[in-house]
Amino acid sequence: MEYILDVQNIHTFIGQYHILQGVNVRVPKGSITALLGRNGAGKTTTLKSILGLTPPREGKVIYEGKEVQGMHSFDIASKGIGFVPEHRAIFRDLTVEENLKIAERVKGDYLRKRDFIFDLFPDLKRLITLPGTSLSGGQQQMLAIARSFVADNHLLLIDEPSEGLAPVIIESMMSVIRELSKDSTIVLVEQNFLVASRLAEYYVIIEEGRSVQEGSMKDLANDKAAIHRYLGAA
Amino acid sequence: MNTFLRKNTVLLITLAVITALFIAAAQGMEKKDFVITLLRGLAVGSITFLVASGFSLIFGLLDVLNLAHGTLFMIGAYIGWTVFVRPDTFVDLLTPLALILSGFALADVYPFLATRIRLGLSMKRILPWALILVSVLIFSFILPRYPISIWDVENYGQSPVTYSFMADSGTRLPAPVAVFTEIAAPLALIGLVLASMIGAFGLSLFNSETQQQFKLTWKNFAAFAILLIVALLTFIFNESLTAVLTGLSSNWLFLIAVVVATLSGAGLGALIESTLIRPLYIRPIYQLMLTLGMSAIGIEIVRSVWGRPEFVMPKPAFFNGTGGVCPATNFADWWANNCSTILLLDGRVRVYNEIFIPIIGVIVLISIWMLLQRTRLGMVIRAGVQDREMVEALGINVRRVFTMVFGLGVGLAALGGILAAPSMGLSNAMGESLFLNALIALAIGGLTNYPGAALGSVLVGLIQQFIIKYGQIGIAIPFTDIIFKPTPPLVPASTVLLMVIILLILPNGLLGKKE
Repeated sequence: MEYILDVQNIHTFIGQYHILQGVNVRVPKGSITALLGRNGAGKTTTLKSILGLTPPREGKVIYEGKEVQGMHSFDIASKGIGFVPEHRAIFRDLTVEENLKIAERVKGDYLRKRDFIFDLFPDLKRLITLPGTSLSGGQQQMLAIARSFVADNHLLLIDEPSEGLAPVIIESMMSVIRELSKDSTIVLVEQNFLVASRLAEYYVIIEEGRSVQEGSMKDLANDKAAIHRYLGAA
Repeated sequence: MNTFLRKNTVLLITLAVITALFIAAAQGMEKKDFVITLLRGLAVGSITFLVASGFSLIFGLLDVLNLAHGTLFMIGAYIGWTVFVRPDTFVDLLTPLALILSGFALADVYPFLATRIRLGLSMKRILPWALILVSVLIFSFILPRYPISIWDVENYGQSPVTYSFMADSGTRLPAPVAVFTEIAAPLALIGLVLASMIGAFGLSLFNSETQQQFKLTWKNFAAFAILLIVALLTFIFNESLTAVLTGLSSNWLFLIAVVVATLSGAGLGALIESTLIRPLYIRPIYQLMLTLGMSAIGIEIVRSVWGRPEFVMPKPAFFNGTGGVCPATNFADWWANNCSTILLLDGRVRVYNEIFIPIIGVIVLISIWMLLQRTRLGMVIRAGVQDREMVEALGINVRRVFTMVFGLGVGLAALGGILAAPSMGLSNAMGESLFLNALIALAIGGLTNYPGAALGSVLVGLIQQFIIKYGQIGIAIPFTDIIFKPTPPLVPASTVLLMVIILLILPNGLLGKKE
């Protein structure tokens, strides 16, 4: 199998805390891979370590065959990685349109992707001149996801897309993520096991800063013991 | 609109009270006094704004409290003065400066060099220090011997005070031409380039923990080549360039002085950020101490180069007309005679101090506003003020934006300095009180809010000028015979009082947003 991203045994410290103590994540090209685990297990830190926002002290991050650990975050992201952070991180002082434009890596990215974005999120078209502050949670999530693929990214790192959203909106969010996975590989951090199991083909379970189990999502759905042990869900 | 009213009730009431106070203040004085005080307030506000806006941009995006901002304001003034009063010194300085900077223009090449050098761990620690030491030694050998025609602080007849005084009275004191005697010219030039390259290489070794694979192209050498060419040209055409500058009218020379001061401020800022501040982003306290130290060092450098005494920078001829027709009675009249003063509502208004400076203030306010709102750089700055990490995660080189914003902020301060020099005069302390004013203005307006910086600066300027004016004419306390004259110490105290009151009502300042 061809892996677009190969994270090998990374160790990340935040301050003096040893947060990641050996995480391995392999992401097959074109797939949706979910990082699962309890609160505070290190899923978000894993995403940030891939991007170099919390640079790992040890281990390797190999993206499209090249080692990227230790590079600046903007250099790593420029290689074609889009990021949707937890809590969306919409720029409040920028309008919706500017929030999309700022993600351009090549001039004209936004104009090229505009129709596609508005097909996926018809709501955003209506809000285009409003400041980021005036959006609802669901709209912010849509904007954050749209922002991640304005540039031609091959890999999208999406952190908790369903957090705090109403069930109806979660459904539409899921169909958008499926739509995006046709063109890009997606790494998903998801608390909601139901959402994750319906979206992802592969999974990696992270427990106390270590990756403990990986495989295909179909197998995990039948492995009630693992679900109970690591995810605490029935 | 209703939600706007509801959300901003406190702000609107505060603004209404402030406006009412100014209207009340206007009742107590004659019309001409009011106009002059208003214009003076706007002028002080404009200069304060130039310092405050740069400081707030830097603080908002970089989280750096640049305590050296007032000093950089002062340095801008002294640089501008040098260009204006001693163009020959300025021309003499161009060559060595371009050479000293040339080494830093190769910044992209050094990491490439560093990967080629294989050394033991202890040597790796020593190498950067050794290189910097060598560079400092070469510099300290060449620079004192490099001929620059300059004033003499020790000798009153040759001091900046005298040069400034003579220039103000319209004659240029002849200055001796500097020639190479103690060191051969080619040796000096090549030595400076080498020392600069060695020093810059040494500095670059300190933050080279990231290894990148990249190729070198001609672009990495372009800036270096341009600087060398500039150095060579200014070296060859030194005398004719000096002749051109001294031959210019004082208006053009002043314009050049303003541009040079602003650009050198911007360059100095970019250099400070990329060499000194950058390694310390993870240690904010050290950063604070660094800028504090830079401030002290800057003041001492200015003292040793330009001397301690205060002096006045002459105004350009455009604003300095005198004689029978002056003061001008209207703007057409002024345009024809370039009077230094103009009569507005029977009040004598100094054109440069009280009209030109506020106009420049407004122009800068609008242009920076356009930069922030209409350009991609501005968009990145606004986004970065809120969430630096996310901007970086979008693949934007935030470091480069940091350097630009630091340069922009210091450039604005330097522009403020050179603009203030003809009206305030030059002194070693000119930065300190103004910096304090700027900080108060920012606290009033909202620390990282750009329009807030403008509003706060204008309020600070106005309240100071009104208190000064009332110190002269006195305030009649209603229903009593007492006439209260605010004493000079009340001037700074009044701004602090205004700040305290506003912060008690609106803890984030007038336009600051809640975090």
